[in-house]
Amino acid sequence: MSVQSTPMAEWSTRATERRLAFQKHVAYPVIMHAVMIAVVIIVLLPLIFAFVLSTQSSADWRIVGNIMPGSNAVENYTIAWERASLGRLMFNTTVVAVSVAVGKIILSMMAAFALVYFRIRGGILILGLIMLTHLLPLPVRIVPTYQLLSSFGWIDTFQGLAVPFFASATGVLLFQQFFRTLTTDLADASRVDGAGPMTFLFRILIPVSRTNIGALFLIEFTYMWNQYLWPLLVANSVQTRQVQIGIKQLIATDATVEWGVLMAGVVTTIIPPLVVLLVLQRSLMAGLSGESEDVR
Amino acid sequence: MSKRRLLSVLLLTTALLATFSLVSAQDEIQISFWHAMSGSRGEVVQELVDEFNETHPGIEVVAEFSGSYADTLTKALAAVRAGEPPHIVQVYEVGTRAMLDSGAILPVAEVSGGAFDPASFVAPIVNYYSAGGELQCMPFNSSTAMLYYNKDMFAAAGLDPDQPPTTFQEVYDMSRQIMDAGVAQGGISFGWPAWILEQMYAKHDQLLANEDGGRSALATEVYLNNEFGVAVLSEWQRWADDGVLIYGGREYSANDPFIAGEFAMLAQSTSSLAGIESNAPFEVGTAFLPRLEGYDGIGNNVIGGGCLWALAGHDEAENDAMWQFFSFLSETPQSVAWHKGTGYFPSTLEAVDALEAEGWFEENPNFLTAFDQILAGEDTVAAQGVLLGDFVTIRDIVGAAIEESVVNGVDPQEALDAATAEINQLLEDYKSLNE
Amino acid sequence: MRDYIFPNRFLPYLLIAPSALLVIVFFIVPAIQSLQLSFYRVNALSGRQLYVGFENFTRLLTSSDYIQSLTTTGAFIAVVVIFGLSISLAIAVGASLPLRGFGVYRTLLIWPYAVSPAITGAIWALIMDPNIGAITNALESIGINFDYRGNSTHAVIFISAAATWKILGYNIVFFLAGLRNIPRDVVEAAGLDGANAWTRFWRIRFPLLSPIAFFLLIMNTLYAAFETFGLIDITTHGGPGRATNLLIYKLYSDGFKTQNLLGSASAQSVLLLVFVVVLTVIQARTAGKRAFYR
Repeated sequence: MSVQSTPMAEWSTRATERRLAFQKHVAYPVIMHAVMIAVVIIVLLPLIFAFVLSTQSSADWRIVGNIMPGSNAVENYTIAWERASLGRLMFNTTVVAVSVAVGKIILSMMAAFALVYFRIRGGILILGLIMLTHLLPLPVRIVPTYQLLSSFGWIDTFQGLAVPFFASATGVLLFQQFFRTLTTDLADASRVDGAGPMTFLFRILIPVSRTNIGALFLIEFTYMWNQYLWPLLVANSVQTRQVQIGIKQLIATDATVEWGVLMAGVVTTIIPPLVVLLVLQRSLMAGLSGESEDVR
Repeated sequence: MSKRRLLSVLLLTTALLATFSLVSAQDEIQISFWHAMSGSRGEVVQELVDEFNETHPGIEVVAEFSGSYADTLTKALAAVRAGEPPHIVQVYEVGTRAMLDSGAILPVAEVSGGAFDPASFVAPIVNYYSAGGELQCMPFNSSTAMLYYNKDMFAAAGLDPDQPPTTFQEVYDMSRQIMDAGVAQGGISFGWPAWILEQMYAKHDQLLANEDGGRSALATEVYLNNEFGVAVLSEWQRWADDGVLIYGGREYSANDPFIAGEFAMLAQSTSSLAGIESNAPFEVGTAFLPRLEGYDGIGNNVIGGGCLWALAGHDEAENDAMWQFFSFLSETPQSVAWHKGTGYFPSTLEAVDALEAEGWFEENPNFLTAFDQILAGEDTVAAQGVLLGDFVTIRDIVGAAIEESVVNGVDPQEALDAATAEINQLLEDYKSLNE
Repeated sequence: MRDYIFPNRFLPYLLIAPSALLVIVFFIVPAIQSLQLSFYRVNALSGRQLYVGFENFTRLLTSSDYIQSLTTTGAFIAVVVIFGLSISLAIAVGASLPLRGFGVYRTLLIWPYAVSPAITGAIWALIMDPNIGAITNALESIGINFDYRGNSTHAVIFISAAATWKILGYNIVFFLAGLRNIPRDVVEAAGLDGANAWTRFWRIRFPLLSPIAFFLLIMNTLYAAFETFGLIDITTHGGPGRATNLLIYKLYSDGFKTQNLLGSASAQSVLLLVFVVVLTVIQARTAGKRAFYR
């Protein structure tokens, strides 16, 4: 996706058009609102049901067609929290997700910085190498990677869960493209000031990359929070177990599924990535559409 | 208080604390115990473990719920592969061959240092988990399959609630009567269908695999597609075609609709008894699994459920701690509590006697059915059940073949032929790598 | 080409070293080992290996299971990608209308992005439960007896619908970002020509969106192929029969649940690699330089 800056002028045109459209058809926005509300409800319906069920007792949800919230919420959430050790699991997952997100941001910024601002022999080759990570998703190398981790003694450890995810093409490409859109004046100016490359990186580049850092953090945090296959293999004990596996454990009851408890667990574990999404969604949108408040 | 006294008190306290922390640092042996018991059973396991830890200072058993049976076995084998085995792992019957061939286990007799007496255990359970004449793992949660039925529905349809079906044809006829009376949508469903098929082989004294079912040597051939297997599956397919059999998934998902009254009968593990009885809004009846007409061999139900395996690679003190934990679990009070809380067999004869003495079985006849069933059979080679390499995958293959027939209408002979070919190749591969 | 700004000779290599090292250790070496293992029959526990040449590959390619898994996966990917992209594009276009209050919809619509495939499985297993599911009951009232556990077709519809729903949030985010990027005057200029909204969208806006659509096509394909493991493992376990035994699920079962199919699992990895390479080549050809986002 090539990055384009949006001229200010366009915003005013857009505003004019908005007024025009509104004045032309009075019913139009009303209809569109109705349509969008319906769409939102349909899209969020599964989540709404999950929430409703998390408040129902087993007597409630056994009644076919009962979609009214029940009064069993406290009990369901307590049982889910205790049975799957959700507190511990959310802590574990946060540790892994944050370290992967931060690790990826640091490593990929370093690499992109090197590729854009320095003369580097075989730069294309190195870029190609990093691109390979995209070509080789985990399933393609899962058996040997597991064996490699065993030989490191990393099974059932946080580093085993996190480090294999540190390298990624995503971040390098994101930052590389963003850096290329920045004017060279920025760097030239700092060189004239006598600042070294690291000063430039920390003083100029990182601050102007805020939006992209936010976007990448959101993408990677969510990705890691939602990991399933790798934690299933690597985490053996509650000391390292990840939330998604906790959900699997709530479902794996030997007799009947306790839907209320399961959904309480589901709702609980959706909250952290949802909060991150809500906080960082502006950065995400801006980062993806190549906008940045600092460089326009 | 004088300064001196204060000082000496302080010193004494410090010394005590130091000794205490020293003791706990030195003598606290940690035993990791991976199990597959979730829900209410998981809670019973945790209670037993907590009680053990309280009564056995110096040993701390750490129970980890590691997912379903298949997940637990997968993880345990992966951990062995990674060189970091847990101490104790609960493995279901399917994993027995894998554990035996893993080279990573310590037979119970060795763990106990000769203190273990298999004669005090219920015989069919000991038989299933024995290899080379020696019990390999500690029987813990043994179960078998039986027929659950909804007595209220039987009564509502004009059937005698105390006369459950004993043959396939009766299952079919009674189901039709119940359905025609509008009492339920369907007649019967299964939990663990592939296991129920194995039960059928053993119950009718039909051998399921060569080499005495894999007990005298590594099996290389299964007889799934023989006349008997096809006959059983054809019956099931007929039931499904007529709406009598409502397919309910591979493990426990059929329990819910049974409790909800969608069908009148359920062939399921005896270990679901406590859960079903506490949830069902009707009177639950239990019976032996039905027999297929025309096959008169008398075998027995196969033992299923789980066994506790001790893994090798730990020191003497840890082995001794494992043995203490094993013995604790098989003591009568614990055995009795475990049985009552779940429906699994009490595995020692003494526990059975204790339950009888307190009148438990009279008050809870459904808990007796499973027992009567395994004690009614004959101890034949086929009845011992099979030990197969890569049994987890084989279970999946059989499960898929049953679904192909029952759900997708594939001809039973065809489905079982394909499954047999696939399984035989797996078994041969297994042999080539384990000889 | 631009001039390079900083003259340092070693610093750039130092900056790039950690990334390169990780790529070599966790990507390249294991991938080569996968290739190597694919020529062996391996006992996962004892580590015993027998060289078998191309046996793993020939067995896979002649096995009806594998072929079925391949075709199911292909169909599943096609459904998820087609519905996932078209529905989210329609929703994004609607949500991006410059109307007061639409920002709220834009925020709400991307919520499914926060939900994992496994959790999607748990929620959909609930709403589509044959007995108590709200959607199943609604379907039953119009005469459809939906049972994803007891009907293969229903099972495939079930996982496809769930997987499509899960990817909507992600796609909507990208389409919204892309729509935001289209200069307004371009659209208006077309409006003056008298073209109606429909033709205007496909003639003017869609071509400008197509790089994003293409990027999403690739990402959705990879998602449907690899990330849906959790969904399957929570719900159908590949059944009934082998109806939902997607390649990734089969790979896991063979590689980790089975002791002697490590070689076969590696061969499956290699075939997947071929599949991904082909996909990437297509992308590189058609789309040129574009970023990859997850």
